[in-house]
Amino acid sequence: MDQLDNLQNILLSNDNSKNFLNCSDVPSICKQEPCMLGVDEAGRGPVLGPMVYGIAYCPINQSEILKSLGCADSKALTEEKRNEILISMLSDGSAKNNVGWAAEVISPNYISNSMYRRAKCSLNEVSMNSAIGLINKVIEMGANISEVYVDTVGPPEKYQAKLSEIFPSIKITVTKKADSLYPIVSAASIVAKVTRDHALKVWQFREGLELDYKEFGSGYPGDPLTKKFIQNKVDEVFGYPLLVRFSWSTAELMLQQKAAKCTFEEVEEPGSHKNSPRTKPISSFFAPKLENDEAKKRKQHKFFEERCLNRNNPFE
Amino acid sequence: MSIHVENNLKDSNCKDVFEQKAQYIPCKIEADGTANVSQYFEPYVNDNGNGELTATFRGHALDGVIVPLPEGYRGAMLTEAHRPLSEDSDRKFHVASLFKDIMYWNWDKKPSKNDNFVKALEWIDIADAIHGTEENETNEECL
Repeated sequence: MDQLDNLQNILLSNDNSKNFLNCSDVPSICKQEPCMLGVDEAGRGPVLGPMVYGIAYCPINQSEILKSLGCADSKALTEEKRNEILISMLSDGSAKNNVGWAAEVISPNYISNSMYRRAKCSLNEVSMNSAIGLINKVIEMGANISEVYVDTVGPPEKYQAKLSEIFPSIKITVTKKADSLYPIVSAASIVAKVTRDHALKVWQFREGLELDYKEFGSGYPGDPLTKKFIQNKVDEVFGYPLLVRFSWSTAELMLQQKAAKCTFEEVEEPGSHKNSPRTKPISSFFAPKLENDEAKKRKQHKFFEERCLNRNNPFE
Repeated sequence: MSIHVENNLKDSNCKDVFEQKAQYIPCKIEADGTANVSQYFEPYVNDNGNGELTATFRGHALDGVIVPLPEGYRGAMLTEAHRPLSEDSDRKFHVASLFKDIMYWNWDKKPSKNDNFVKALEWIDIADAIHGTEENETNEECL
């Protein structure tokens, strides 16, 4: 269990509002022999906690090791079994010397911030960038990667084309359910899933809430504990602690009901002509209608208008 | 109607009330009252060095900077114990706290000299030039 304690300590020592990378050394054999690399993610759907991208890689001719570790369809494995496999990957001699891994913890705050940018960045983009970043990272560290297998929920073709463009010398396979088809993807999926589970387990609320995962649950919107958390832990002004992905509709809808309304500046989407000056009502071409107040008020100089300054008395 | 503002802070020993923090959040918040700023907001204010700040509000990324108030000015927060029912009666406010600068935040955009808020402060210098007394002007020239 020391290995898992170690993982928890690493998770605890990082700022949970930011992303961070946790990776193994590159086994020396992976620098010489051509390697296959698997990519998978955990925690894409939940409204709480980070999304984790995981990769695992080993020499192509060493795939037997993955099977002996028990890397099969990770959805079919229990939590205990997944923990066990990760412990072996981290401590068992032949596994450690042949299989390298890395995980990127993408904070819920980063996810909300990305989806609420002025130029929105979708979850798919966040995901793809993380996968690309991880592959680049281990290549930089000296791993000799020649095949990459990626599990995807979306349409594989576009994703595959993009990766092939970025890594022209690597054979790329993007497919649905890669997790159950390729043991190296199962290994990646175990790295991701165990990291995500422990990230929730050790989550510290910097907002000072005294709560833990037994009270907020798995983070899936269907989990009764998570539902309760989303319903009851609303702050009037700030909404939620940063464990929550604000950009999820579950959270958005609850804040509409329970928190103060907040309106940000509207960003004009390219191509929308909603308030186009060309669509003036026809009545505007007839005699100007003078609003009583407007007619009386002396028009302000542009200087003030540009600075949003006016003569209203705030004490009225 | 006249407005009275009373300042009893002069007697206060507590330095904090003179140097409160004010946050300018770039959205309309339909709430009036206290807010858990130190709990929910301040832990996530980061300084990237060179005075560039980042924070987050309701899932939105914020870029910020500290804007000092113009020389000779202080910001004040006033409280009113009872608002008179009649519009004509006098109103009485108390100074609850003071601040010297404002943490100014933009949504996903680095603050600049072109932001309305920063430009609005220019009026203070211009007003002084237009409406300031002659005495002030000569003083300034001497400096």
